[in-house]
Amino acid sequence: MARRKLKVLLIANRGEIALRIIRTARAMGIKTVAVYSEADAHSMHVAAADDARLIGPAEAAHSYLNIAAIIAAARESGADAIHPGYGFLSERPDFARAVDDAGIIFVGPPAAVMAQLGDKLAARRLATESGVPVVPGIETAEVAAAREFAAREGYPVLVKAAAGGGGRGMRVVEAAAGLAAALEAAAREAYAAFGDGRIFVEKYLARPRHVEVQFLGDQHGNIVTMGERDCSIQRRHQKLVEESPAPGLDGAIREAMLAAATRLAQAAAYTSAGTAEFLLEGGRFYFLEVNARLQVEHPITEIRFGCDLVAEQIKIAMGEHVDTPAAPRGCALECRINAEDAAAGFRPAIGTVLELRIPSGPGVRFDTHLARGAEVSAFYDGLLGKLITYGADREQARRRMSGALDELAILGVTNTAAFVRDVIASEAFARADLSTRFIEEHFPDWPREGRAETDAALIAAALTAAGALGASPGYTVGRNTAAQAGDRSPWTRLGSFELWRRS
Amino acid sequence: MDAARELRAVETLVKLKRAGREFEVEILARQGREVRARVDGRELSATVDRLADGSAILSLEGRRFRIVGARRKDAILVAVGPRTFDFLPAQSAARRARPGLAAPEITAPMPGKVLKVLVKDGDRVTAGQALVVIEAMKMETTLAAESDAIVKRVCVAPGDTIDHGAVLIELSPAVDSSLIQSAPEVR
Repeated sequence: MARRKLKVLLIANRGEIALRIIRTARAMGIKTVAVYSEADAHSMHVAAADDARLIGPAEAAHSYLNIAAIIAAARESGADAIHPGYGFLSERPDFARAVDDAGIIFVGPPAAVMAQLGDKLAARRLATESGVPVVPGIETAEVAAAREFAAREGYPVLVKAAAGGGGRGMRVVEAAAGLAAALEAAAREAYAAFGDGRIFVEKYLARPRHVEVQFLGDQHGNIVTMGERDCSIQRRHQKLVEESPAPGLDGAIREAMLAAATRLAQAAAYTSAGTAEFLLEGGRFYFLEVNARLQVEHPITEIRFGCDLVAEQIKIAMGEHVDTPAAPRGCALECRINAEDAAAGFRPAIGTVLELRIPSGPGVRFDTHLARGAEVSAFYDGLLGKLITYGADREQARRRMSGALDELAILGVTNTAAFVRDVIASEAFARADLSTRFIEEHFPDWPREGRAETDAALIAAALTAAGALGASPGYTVGRNTAAQAGDRSPWTRLGSFELWRRS
Repeated sequence: MDAARELRAVETLVKLKRAGREFEVEILARQGREVRARVDGRELSATVDRLADGSAILSLEGRRFRIVGARRKDAILVAVGPRTFDFLPAQSAARRARPGLAAPEITAPMPGKVLKVLVKDGDRVTAGQALVVIEAMKMETTLAAESDAIVKRVCVAPGDTIDHGAVLIELSPAVDSSLIQSAPEVR
């Protein structure tokens, strides 16, 4: 394939990942074009890019998922390439095809590769043909066939959508009695979420670890792997804490996993950055899926390998060869800070950022699009930022993470910072007792607040009420602050908070 | 002289609630960095060192906490390290005293979006009457009056994004207000 120098890159995404991609492009001397919805007009990624184009209203379906509007923005801004980031259109083959048809470089794998890997059953077939172990399972919506399979492999079994991911349409069935209802409900959910009602039934692993392999493929058939990441700490099948390398992983198993990922990527004729996900249990690993895009947790690989994966993606898109990666060093950890209430089943939260304190220091990186005054709405994924630490060993990375999380404060949007701080500080995490059941095993009743901490919070609240703490008077942000709310605010009306001043 | 006597006698009594629990905090005295407070009946001494950015270091019982505070229309927000606390005003004696009103306001049970507002300021509504329709977690939820009331103020409009606990509609009792003897505001 002919080499093409890339001059203008459009980033078809928002939030921290859009900002992160813009920064890499800028460092490579490539002009950047941001796209944004009406809700994001004042976002950091818009300000950071050389050019920015409005692509639609707040609803993602009409903006960040609007293929026609994004291609039009690319044409109007003279972009010669599009980076999809993660989420939104990043794994949609029709988008990759539309970009290609418009004569624009898609920074990611070709549409056909994406289509094959995005279909769980086709990907599974590919794995089997490549000699990569898979979890025993069958595609069926028939109760009788599912019963026979479950009786052979043993309960519990997992019923899930053949298309899509992210935990939607997934059900664990403990006994034969629940199978029929689970099949029916999963098919309905799968159809509603993905427009594809095909169902997959597989053996459910009781206490697996989630370990994945990062790889890069170029347009000349070369595949390189860049170590593994352990992403076992999850809630509702969504990752919360990730680390590299996977602690305590047997060297032979690691080599076998890296080799399996290489075979898969070669069989798929993969180009760009991709990730092969595996479940690990009882000294055996099983192929889960390939994510044909940049992963949220890619920075921990970058830190260990001293590279920039977005830059690698761009170089591959320009037709360059992948280099043999440098030897990895040390350990890296990542904590996702989500707009969620960990004390209420990780219920999504929204709000305006009223106060923000961002950590820094040796071996600390915080990828975020947050700023004081930023609105976190219900329209988009609630990832607020990713805190990443490096250490010469796991314990140093863990202690740096713990200290950095203590420095982090996001006020105005309920978030998972305190939860992940307690996870990182826990004895169970310190000894790397990792499995996808970690949170239910070790944090079933979070939060366990100390009395001194609650007392400190109450005194701080009283001082805030008295105006003795917080931003100086007259400084306001966002829509919901007291000053801008005018006389609608109970704060401006004496007595609403039972606030009495004596003397 | 007793050092405590030198502290300025003041200041603030706040009644707060969080996750269904009510708290009472009174700042008894404050001088320089010394703060004496009564928290749910227990007297505590703390030191508060303000930082240039508006946050502070609060030392209490031998532990140091970095605290940040902010006010919002409906809540006081506090961060103690990375942990955040949302405190809402505990219902005041005056509010509780209002006869015939189950709840003085209609609040959002979860974050979402306002779809429809079915009443306007001053409307007389009856128990069970639908007041506002919100969309949250991909579901429509209709919020209704719990008792007969008068709409004191509609605080939101269709299309507004709302957080958990946001006040949507304020209500007044449906009885003649001249008949209510108001509770004293200052004790």
